[in-house]
Amino acid sequence: MLSDWGHVGFLLLLALVFPVGGIASSWMLGLLKIRPQAPDPIKEDIFECGVETEGTAWVQFNFRYYYYALLFVIFDVEAVFLYPWAVSLDEASVTGFIAVVTFIVILTIGLAYAWRKKALEWL
Amino acid sequence: MIPIENFLVLSSILFSIGIYGVLARRNAVLIIMSVELMLQAVSINFIAFAVYLYPEQFTGLIFAIFVITIAAAEVGLALGIILRIFRNKGTSNVDEVDMLKW
Amino acid sequence: MDSVNRFGPELILLAMAAVIILADIGWALAGTGAERMRRPALGALALTGTAASIIWSALLIAFDEQGEAFSGMIRVDDFALFFNFLFAGTAAIVILASIDFLRRNRFVAEYYALILASTAGMMLLASTIDLIAIFVALELTGISLYILVAFMKDGRSSEAGLKYLLLGAISSAVALYGMAYLFGITGSTSLDEIGLVVSEANGETRSALVLAMVFLIAGFGFKMAIVPFQMWVPDVYEGAPTPVTAFLSVGSKAAGFAVVMRIFLTALGDGSISSDWATVFAILAAISMSLGNITALVQGNIKRMLGYSSIAQAGTFLIGLAVVAAADPQLLLGTSAVLFFLGTYAFTNLGAFIAVIAISSKIGSDQIADYAGVAKRSPLLALGLTICLLSLTGIPPTAGFIAKVYVFNAAVQADLVWLAIVGVLNSVVAAYYYLRVVLNMYTAEPASEESIQPGYYLGLAMVVAVVGLLVIGIFPSPLLEASEAAARVFG
Repeated sequence: MLSDWGHVGFLLLLALVFPVGGIASSWMLGLLKIRPQAPDPIKEDIFECGVETEGTAWVQFNFRYYYYALLFVIFDVEAVFLYPWAVSLDEASVTGFIAVVTFIVILTIGLAYAWRKKALEWL
Repeated sequence: MIPIENFLVLSSILFSIGIYGVLARRNAVLIIMSVELMLQAVSINFIAFAVYLYPEQFTGLIFAIFVITIAAAEVGLALGIILRIFRNKGTSNVDEVDMLKW
Repeated sequence: MDSVNRFGPELILLAMAAVIILADIGWALAGTGAERMRRPALGALALTGTAASIIWSALLIAFDEQGEAFSGMIRVDDFALFFNFLFAGTAAIVILASIDFLRRNRFVAEYYALILASTAGMMLLASTIDLIAIFVALELTGISLYILVAFMKDGRSSEAGLKYLLLGAISSAVALYGMAYLFGITGSTSLDEIGLVVSEANGETRSALVLAMVFLIAGFGFKMAIVPFQMWVPDVYEGAPTPVTAFLSVGSKAAGFAVVMRIFLTALGDGSISSDWATVFAILAAISMSLGNITALVQGNIKRMLGYSSIAQAGTFLIGLAVVAAADPQLLLGTSAVLFFLGTYAFTNLGAFIAVIAISSKIGSDQIADYAGVAKRSPLLALGLTICLLSLTGIPPTAGFIAKVYVFNAAVQADLVWLAIVGVLNSVVAAYYYLRVVLNMYTAEPASEESIQPGYYLGLAMVVAVVGLLVIGIFPSPLLEASEAAARVFG
């Protein structure tokens, strides 16, 4: 019982020590004038590398992302059912195979519908 | 081994947070997120029961898979309807959506 | 193959839904030339689907092909077949009533496909005996109906859809939590096996069972639309397209009662626990009837009024469930009373809503006040609506009268006289607001003299519903025998 929680406790401790220790030591070194202090706008940016950020994160996304998210979820969830079937293919036999094929055919009809409704196109 | 009670307590806490969210939140998207919490509480229950009490069968685990799938379908539809309301009214707050009396 | 054969009525509906979607895609590819034929052809396909489903169910009876399917997931017995006919018939009438309303809508194929999918879900709810399949069927019914409620592009329909979806999702989560505990206590998702374990339950597991039972009642109470889980009913009924409201008020409610009977009579039917839920149902029945009727009194919108009236009717059905495990239990009488009532209620409510579709689409209003003098503008529609409202009140020679007598008789037999008295008192209250509509139609002066002529299909649907309820009112024995046969499944 204790040892089970012990692992979690150890991880928790590590997770605390690293960031807190890092920030604290940086701050201490700054106080002792060992750490050089030369701020400039790029260094103060939220991300130190990559593209410069512009504006806030609270913007409206294009409506079409929603279709993509939805289609992604559908095929993601499809895999949830296919995986248990794939690992027990031997036991599931022909009946299982027919069932899964039926399942995929139904999904394909859905995909055909999405295609017809132009949900797959980026305007 | 962690006793099963811990999982049941966790799931009932999650479920209660979900119910609180459903009752207290005004934004429809947040209500949907609270419903997701309730559904995942159920999944935790099923998996805990299946693993601890009935390890010889898979029924509970399969049930959890179905819960996840159907929750995804429900959320997809919910977002679609919320989007429509947002286009009609410019808000997704349930108490500003009041053409019909509650 | 036995499995597929027994699953046929549901399967044919789902297959037809897929065919309709594919046909619609084909039509779009074929170009504009064939466009004129699209709507009638899709409607015909949908009707063919429901008819095929009914015929398949009848063949299952004729060839005595009853039994379990898909390794104990589904049980096709008299109970399931009774509901197959009920749901497929309801869907057929709703499709007939939708043809005119869909004239101005682009998404005809989606509408029919969703109606068929939802019907298949309802049939599955009545025939499945496993918690997993119950959950999937519940959501198949529910999700199709959420879309149908939000089908129109206007704000009211979307709003009704959002409310229905949010409350529906919450209620199914609550019911699921109950199922999770049921599984945890018994270690099985099969209703029969759960029933076996429950009958051997001792004091400790019993309290856990009561917890699961409460969650299940709360979750399915939403589907049945009983107090205190009725908040969504008036809003959704008002905002949804009227044919969908009709489908919702009959199909969804009947499906809720079907699954509750399956779960509570099979899995929780043991005497030690059934007396608990019978008491709960008796109290909920009394509250539902009273609250539904009293709130219906003050409604000005006829769809809202029918919504509250359907809450009150659900309370009356619950009497039948309370009787099943009351002090002097009447299993057969109670169950068959619920089934018989559901059968008559389907015809009655469908008829009432079809009349509302016909009248409201012409006068452009759902307000009861605007129904003034409808009898002068369309005598036949007014007569049809009057017969339906009389049946809802419970006045002979309509079917509603026999159904009410049957249910109240069951209550008296089971030593629940107080419940029968509450029911009769409520019928008197209900008469006031039903007859108010009738009086308004016949005595008030019409706003205009222009006659109201329902479309051909709408008229046909109306005739089917009204003739059905009059026939049951005069010759009730076939439906009575069918519901008794279905009730014997639980004996």
